[in-house]
Amino acid sequence: MLVWLGLSGISVLQLWLGSSGGAAVPVANAAITLSVLGMALVKVRFIMREFMEVRHAPALLCRLTDAWLLVTAISLFAIYLAGMAGTFG
Amino acid sequence: MAHSPSDDATFVPGQPDMWALVLFEAMLFTLYFGVYMVCRVLDPQLFLESQALLDPRWGVLNTLVMLTSSWSIARCVQSAREGSYNAALRDVFITFALGLVFVVLKVAEWASEIGQGLTFTTNEFFSFYYFLTAIHFIHLLVGFVVLGIVIYQLRGPARRSQEIVETGATYWHLVDFLWVMIFALVYLIR
Repeated sequence: MLVWLGLSGISVLQLWLGSSGGAAVPVANAAITLSVLGMALVKVRFIMREFMEVRHAPALLCRLTDAWLLVTAISLFAIYLAGMAGTFG
Repeated sequence: MAHSPSDDATFVPGQPDMWALVLFEAMLFTLYFGVYMVCRVLDPQLFLESQALLDPRWGVLNTLVMLTSSWSIARCVQSAREGSYNAALRDVFITFALGLVFVVLKVAEWASEIGQGLTFTTNEFFSFYYFLTAIHFIHLLVGFVVLGIVIYQLRGPARRSQEIVETGATYWHLVDFLWVMIFALVYLIR
């Protein structure tokens, strides 16, 4: 119940963050992007640990799921920040 | 094979093969998300302006539906583990019903967008939008078959297998956490 409430609360917070600003022409915003993506990854980890019971699983499964989260986080953050810095021209 | 988290020993929930599938699918979606992100940073204004044409309230509503369905199937696993098969069946039916709610909402959202002339060929953002949401949708449809197997198992006392219930639940959670990522990437990031 607590996990579900937390996950739902974060989702509503994400909606509020992602819809904030109200500019007619939307502008790129690294703080919003990184926050919203970070919250999504936290939610996924909670789903894995609590709902999928990875918390009770052997260390290998814990490590593999965390490794996937880390690879996904680093890839998406790196591509986004490199793009913001103009690395892709 | 009954698993009890209260035991000191650790356990893999469900069949290990399902976890191999979960990790494979997760990596595959990370590749999709990476390609989406590269295309996005190459043309940020197009993606921002196109994304603004979506209504994120559809996205959050479907997120809440998926999260609730995931919680429900997690309770089904617990109930089956405790031998409360009627409660387990009730929970898997709730999960099934919430999956149907997701289908109805998603189809209604697509219909609304297509009605506004926003289709797969509108631009690169919408190609990604329809690709990611449709491939997730296909995973969800497979999820109904998986839930059907869980229901079939739970209804027959001679057939009941905790491992199959856990395996089915693990697949459903995969569908849930992939949507959590799609919601953030497609509707919310700037």
